[in-house]
Amino acid sequence: MNDSFLLTILILSPLLGIVLLSIMPGDHRFINYMGVLGTVLPLGLTLIVFSLFDRSLSGVQFKEYHQWFELMTSISPNEPYTVAYDLGVTGLSVLFLMLASLITFLASLTALRIKESAKGFYILFLLLEVGILGVFASENLFLFFLFFEITLVSMFLLVGKWGGFNREKAAFSFLIYNGIGSILLLIVIIVLFVEMRTTNITELTMLLKDTDSLEFLSGSTRTWLFVLLLIAFGIKLPIVPFHTWMVRVHVEAPIAVVMIHAGVLLKIGAYGLIRFGVGFFPEQLKEMAVALAILGVINLLYGAFIALVQTELRSVLAYSSISHMGIVLLGVASFNTAGLQGAVFQTISHGLIAALLFLLVGVLINRFQTTKLEELGGVASQTPLFAGFLLAAGLASLGLPGMSGFISEFLAFLGLFEAMPVIGAVGVLGLILTAVYMLRAVLAVTFGERRTLFDNNRDLTAVELVPSAILLSIIIWIGVYPQVLSNTLQLARTLGIGG
Amino acid sequence: MSSVPLSAFLVTALLLFCMGLYGALTKRNAVIVLISIELMLNAVNLNLVAFAKYGVGASIRGQVFSLFTITVAAAEAAVGLAILIALYRNRATVNVDEMNTLKK
Amino acid sequence: MDYVFLIPMLPLLSFLIILFTRPIYKKAGIVGTLFTGAAFLCSLIVLFSHFAEGNYIVEANWFSLDTVIITVGLEVNPLNALMLVIVTLVSFLVHIYSMGYMANDERYATFFSYLGLFTFSMTGLVLSPNLLQLYMFWELVGVCSFLLVGFYFYKPEAKAAAKKAFIMTRIGDIGLLVAIFLLFWQTGSFELDVIFEAAQAGDIAPSLITLIAILIFVGAVGKSGQFPLHTWLPDAMEGPTPVSALIHAATMVAAGVYLVAVTYPLFSVSEVAMTTVAVTGGFTAIFAATIALVQTDIKRILAYSTVSQLGYMMLALGAAGYTAGVFHLTTHAFFKALLFLAAGSVIHAVHEQNIFKMGGLSKKLPITATLFLIASLSISGFPLLAGFFSKDEILATTYGDGRYVLFAIGLITAFLTAFYMFRLYFLVFSGNSSTEARESPSVMLIPMMVLGALAIVGGYIQTNWFGTFLGDWLETTPYSITFVHHEAPFWLPILASVLSIGGIALAWMMYVRKTTSIKESNERTGLHELLYRKYYVDELYQVVFVKGSRVIAYFWMYVDRFIIEGGAAVITGAVKRFGQAGVKLQSGQVQTYGTVAFSGLVLVLLLIAVLGGYF
Repeated sequence: MNDSFLLTILILSPLLGIVLLSIMPGDHRFINYMGVLGTVLPLGLTLIVFSLFDRSLSGVQFKEYHQWFELMTSISPNEPYTVAYDLGVTGLSVLFLMLASLITFLASLTALRIKESAKGFYILFLLLEVGILGVFASENLFLFFLFFEITLVSMFLLVGKWGGFNREKAAFSFLIYNGIGSILLLIVIIVLFVEMRTTNITELTMLLKDTDSLEFLSGSTRTWLFVLLLIAFGIKLPIVPFHTWMVRVHVEAPIAVVMIHAGVLLKIGAYGLIRFGVGFFPEQLKEMAVALAILGVINLLYGAFIALVQTELRSVLAYSSISHMGIVLLGVASFNTAGLQGAVFQTISHGLIAALLFLLVGVLINRFQTTKLEELGGVASQTPLFAGFLLAAGLASLGLPGMSGFISEFLAFLGLFEAMPVIGAVGVLGLILTAVYMLRAVLAVTFGERRTLFDNNRDLTAVELVPSAILLSIIIWIGVYPQVLSNTLQLARTLGIGG
Repeated sequence: MSSVPLSAFLVTALLLFCMGLYGALTKRNAVIVLISIELMLNAVNLNLVAFAKYGVGASIRGQVFSLFTITVAAAEAAVGLAILIALYRNRATVNVDEMNTLKK
Repeated sequence: MDYVFLIPMLPLLSFLIILFTRPIYKKAGIVGTLFTGAAFLCSLIVLFSHFAEGNYIVEANWFSLDTVIITVGLEVNPLNALMLVIVTLVSFLVHIYSMGYMANDERYATFFSYLGLFTFSMTGLVLSPNLLQLYMFWELVGVCSFLLVGFYFYKPEAKAAAKKAFIMTRIGDIGLLVAIFLLFWQTGSFELDVIFEAAQAGDIAPSLITLIAILIFVGAVGKSGQFPLHTWLPDAMEGPTPVSALIHAATMVAAGVYLVAVTYPLFSVSEVAMTTVAVTGGFTAIFAATIALVQTDIKRILAYSTVSQLGYMMLALGAAGYTAGVFHLTTHAFFKALLFLAAGSVIHAVHEQNIFKMGGLSKKLPITATLFLIASLSISGFPLLAGFFSKDEILATTYGDGRYVLFAIGLITAFLTAFYMFRLYFLVFSGNSSTEARESPSVMLIPMMVLGALAIVGGYIQTNWFGTFLGDWLETTPYSITFVHHEAPFWLPILASVLSIGGIALAWMMYVRKTTSIKESNERTGLHELLYRKYYVDELYQVVFVKGSRVIAYFWMYVDRFIIEGGAAVITGAVKRFGQAGVKLQSGQVQTYGTVAFSGLVLVLLLIAVLGGYF
């Protein structure tokens, strides 16, 4: 499969939409539809990759390798450092690719409402998709970083221009926090590159596992690199106390962007932590597992407690994301098959659920012009379909069996209870709190006395119903038959670890 | 030809340069600043010519350099004065310390 | 028995069909009833084929975790088969009843779809051969209960009750979840068979088994409304009355009892766990019964009665009375469902739930009154009715097990039960009435009559006179549990009958003849107030847990806002200051720049000169 260009085409496919959009006049009637069409092509290609991905093989598939450039150094003039254009997918990344292009497509549908400079919006939106797809398809840290930066820039502009009242502050805190994260990531990449002479992810994983490699990278250096990596992706995930930027973005960004942000971008943090943290530095992770688990429990409880008293639906969901990402940390910290599988499941499941929840928040804003809990209530009587979906999404988020959230949390905690039962016992309290804040928020919107303030509101329209139904059916599908994820994931093979 | 020693030329040029530098850094009137810059340039010219005559590897090159400098200085004066006149028309002042609009 | 899968599938189909055809098809009630009726028939067939063929199990791979294959499956054993019949029967009858009761509700179809989902979940729960599957359905029934309690979503009380029901049971569920985790790492399996074998073989440390059993019991406490997680169940009466009959009386709340019964091999290994179950059950029984004495809402009285009776079942299980607990579960399902349906019939007729505002309804609603009387007699343990036998069995077990304090509590509770049930009956049905009321339609009465018949004869499946069919059948398990049977002392049935009749008589004197000096006045004082306020448990929880968690939440929110965000602001502020200091250097004065540049040059030259040794 070395000659396939499928991944390159996939990553660059949103560019077609960008080109078409840029030659269209900005006030064209169909400019928004063009933007949506732009995300259909990547979705189709991802589906092809997803279906062609051979689940019986191990290792990287759809490999592409081209030498990109060489760096001569005065230290070793005869051995130049080679940087390659290096793509490929593993079972882990193919799942994230699927998640990314699906949610981007569904988010582009909700952006149909955008009226103000839609052309620029969709161009940046598609650029963001290039970045996200690139991040997940890179087999090379250099490329990974490059695409990672593309997501930062386009995200910054999207939040800063099309966001809410405090959009500029949100955009800047996004940029600054993530900029710091990128610097730390860059340091790790450079150290690895200088010492190991390669940036290929699979190669690095193999090399670092080899005990001979200890002469290149001593144990203490590795510990530092792991800590840097943890902070870099911890900002993205986010881990308390690096989370304030993310709450701002959740509250201020336009809904389509929040869907991507909560659904996919935050997942880069989890992806990086699992692929690089677990892949490169398993020994260091094991040493720091307890600390990591405590961080996870703090995230879980901290987010849940604060979500309990928020008065605005978007903030509730933002803190709920923090809480749910704590479970990812717990799964990673347990470092056994159940836990890691749970972490991956939780990442994907939360991506879907968060996207669905924010999609519905978008509807709420469109119909009622508010997301304040005390101004809402009893919407179930006017918009039963909307209320049903919101309730279902809320139940999915609090881990109802039969939906994807349950099996993820179950596996993560199952893993944790093997490794650290005491921390696990504290952590399960978070599951109760999740139920409390989620029901409080969802019921405040849907149940209760009807507010006469909002009369004559339409229920979900087709363009809102279809994405919601797609997301909900995938959530239920994973919940009822989780093997569909683990078949593709092949976690043990991807990361080369056993239970 | 009773020769004036090289050091005399250099001291003269040094004095000239210092006067020019002082003027360029302290005078408020832009015209005087320009004239002071001319003084510094001429101090350099004097050095060039002096070395061309009495230097270690004396050759015509130093004099050619000074010719270039005179040309460039003329052009600079022309452009400088032109900018100054344009500024004067806009701001009705030739004081350098009032010309700080780029900072704001 | 390969058609067992039909039992959960039929109600699921009913749910899906009604859900998707809801806007266009108006016959949701008929669809739901037919599908549930078919499920009931299947359950009956399964029950009878179990007599012939014995246990049945079918499993399929669901999910693999390393080398462990997690399966889903269906299991039929005596306990399952019995529960299946109870669940589908009550569900079927409630479906029929609801066609009348809910006829004028605008969310008629939604109601039946929820009922279908509930029946699916409950039968799925009962059929689960492993703990993971059981837990999944366990949560699903909780959600159905939540949805149905909040059915009248526009009422703030219903919203609060639904939320409370979900959260309180969730607290219990977490206990069960932790128990499942611990069991998995001890035995490497979720399968009940494997777990029981490991427990019996002594592969799990005794202290750990005790811990696990108690955690499982925590789950049961949440679901079955036992103290201290009982407060949600009376509030759950905000739901439609047929739901109260189905979910909050006959089936779902009994799932806690069922859970303890299913994991009985674990409990039977640990004496501490057994005592915990018995004491919690006994305490809940008398605790809830005392509250029921003074309540004024007809449904709340029945709800506290349910809590109390569930406590009774727990008491039986804790006192090694496996058969007694399951037996009482069965009879209770019949007479309590009937009580709720009859109460629904009354509410349907008079649109009132306060018993002091009713009266003399036996003339207006003769059939409902008769059926209510049968159920009340049965629950009070009136001789020869269903409740009499099951209650006797529990008392005999407790006595035989040597738990004399709990035995005394059980006797007092039996007396209290008879009293509050007949307080209710006399206040509602006797005397003269002024209110307008019409007897409910036959679609509501027929299911009640079926339950009425069962409330009379249901007890004869397990008697010392005709034979202990139920016990003999239930105890055919492969695990070496020693089922203890205590011959009831000859005086026990007599004593129980006397207490029962005594309770009824006291109620009659107080509320019909009004001859006793004890009167229930509107001004409540002392003990009466304490009972009326349900021992202030709700208020206590409100202060300790609700307020407490909000205090913690606000604390963290201020940490978030001032320490974390503040810290970030301090850092950005410092950077900004630094930048502003730099800005001051940039004055815009060309001559200043020139001076600085020139002095810099001089400094550099000097440095070179000095360091280079040119001086």
